[in-house]
Amino acid sequence: MIFVIAEHKDNKLKPITAELLVFAQRVGREFAQPVTAVVLGSDTAVLADELKSKKINRVVTIEAPQLSDYNPDIYVEALKALFQNEKPFLVLAGHTTQGMDFAPRLSVSMRRPLIAGCVEYEKQGDRLLLTRQIFNAKISMKTAVRGEAPYFATASPGAFPGDEVEAGGSAEISAFPVSLSPGRRKVVERVEAPKWKADLTSAPIIVSGGRGMKEKQNFNLVFELAEAMGASVGASRPVVDAEWLPREYQIGSSGQTVSPKLYIAIGISGAIQHLVGMQTSRCIVAINKDPEAPIFKVAHYGIVEDLFKVVPALTKIFKDLKPA
Amino acid sequence: MKIISCIKPVPDPASRLIINETKTWIRDQDLTFVASEADNYALEEALRLKEKHGGEVVVLSMGGEEAARVLRSGLAMGADRAIHLLDPKFKGADEFSAAATLAKAIEKDGGADLVLAGVQSDDLGTGMTGTMIAEFLGCAHATVVVGVEANPEGKSIRAKRELEGGINETVELPMPAVLTIQFGINQPRYASLKGIMAAKKKDFKAWSAADLGLSDDSAGKAGAMYEVKEVFVPERKSKVEIIGGTPEEAAATLVEKLRKEAKVL
Repeated sequence: MIFVIAEHKDNKLKPITAELLVFAQRVGREFAQPVTAVVLGSDTAVLADELKSKKINRVVTIEAPQLSDYNPDIYVEALKALFQNEKPFLVLAGHTTQGMDFAPRLSVSMRRPLIAGCVEYEKQGDRLLLTRQIFNAKISMKTAVRGEAPYFATASPGAFPGDEVEAGGSAEISAFPVSLSPGRRKVVERVEAPKWKADLTSAPIIVSGGRGMKEKQNFNLVFELAEAMGASVGASRPVVDAEWLPREYQIGSSGQTVSPKLYIAIGISGAIQHLVGMQTSRCIVAINKDPEAPIFKVAHYGIVEDLFKVVPALTKIFKDLKPA
Repeated sequence: MKIISCIKPVPDPASRLIINETKTWIRDQDLTFVASEADNYALEEALRLKEKHGGEVVVLSMGGEEAARVLRSGLAMGADRAIHLLDPKFKGADEFSAAATLAKAIEKDGGADLVLAGVQSDDLGTGMTGTMIAEFLGCAHATVVVGVEANPEGKSIRAKRELEGGINETVELPMPAVLTIQFGINQPRYASLKGIMAAKKKDFKAWSAADLGLSDDSAGKAGAMYEVKEVFVPERKSKVEIIGGTPEEAAATLVEKLRKEAKVL
């Protein structure tokens, strides 16, 4: 049996859940393992119905009033109880702030392997090999789990196409009854995403700079190019962490998610957290002197050169184009 | 308040990474090692908490000379003492066996009110070791922390977590607790000359697997939960078109292509 731990918010499944179901359906077919989705919450009826519409074997609900908020202590307690009962082959969670908050504890608690941030899998004989990215996605690592099942894995967001989830199932829904502790951790406040002052989500062209800009003052080059092109300016996380630009410019998993018609990444290596925030842009240009930079994997056009030479040259072209 | 700050030595991010002959890791013999970036933010946060509430900061690292080096930098930044987990048996650890070993060391040192670690390392980057330490210690934890408020009298801590899409969540935990610290929570200080000199006189312990009471099958590679089959440079799936020429030529060609091929200008 393969278990998918559904991630949800505001009574809706999050996109990662569909990606996990695709991962599970594909591994399940190769290893002849049925798929079960598990949903934890204080009221899971709507979520369970949505999961039931997918081509899976079973939906297990774990309901408790104290699960109205996600809580790692209770997740570990409940899932451990479930899996001691069920003998899973593989348990999948998202490589997200939630999945990576409870999956490592669950793995230690059950003394079973966790392979985090998976992007691919492979069947080698009876063995499941899982590949993940290391060194900021510059290198891939193929791993084989040791010992008996269950194995735990988290899937990197965007690694599996959520829109290819197979529908048309007739899964049965069953509740797993378990008495749960209140949990040690308490949520005292949640602040929703701010209204971005620099709203990049509707910008048609974005010129974005990264750590390769080296210094705050060099960001002028990005602003000058953006101005000449009539574009908006964005940045990767290290730029914001270094306080070269305010947080509202950040593009990526903890910043804004953008999809302009043209995205120009300057001196951005392309950490996965950045890529998930811009990879659906229609046309992506990468300017970076490191040909191994992961940004080139999602780019349509690349210039492997010193950005301090290329960017001023680009700015000049656009300035010259403008009628005086 | 006693705070233990975990530091992982990783190859300098500017290093050129070359796969080793057995294709199981990179060739790291000749590389320079530095503290993993997120661990620097964790140590800075530990030092600030100590400055506010008193107590001590202990830096903890596992590895060979590279670990001793990041520990000495930690002492120079202001940590009070260092614990170096030094044993050939620790080599080849995965996150699970590393966390088991670090947790043993924390227990041997008498525990801590707070254990801090970076949200993820610059090499494996999976972000699980800190959380695994919490489970081994049996204490509460919070991940991706961008703000910390301690209440030592009440034995509790408030941690602000950064979730996807700009959402922040503040959670309250009983101490002892483990926090994994997000990039950008603070601006880590540089070691002063005075700090570097003072570091030389600070307590610096080295503990082996035997000192920790770890059996041979639970440390390093032997205690790992998975084996590395192969590391490789990922194939580029995208058909990126690399534009060559001088910077001026490349810029001109790019604009031409954006206009006529991609039609986005």
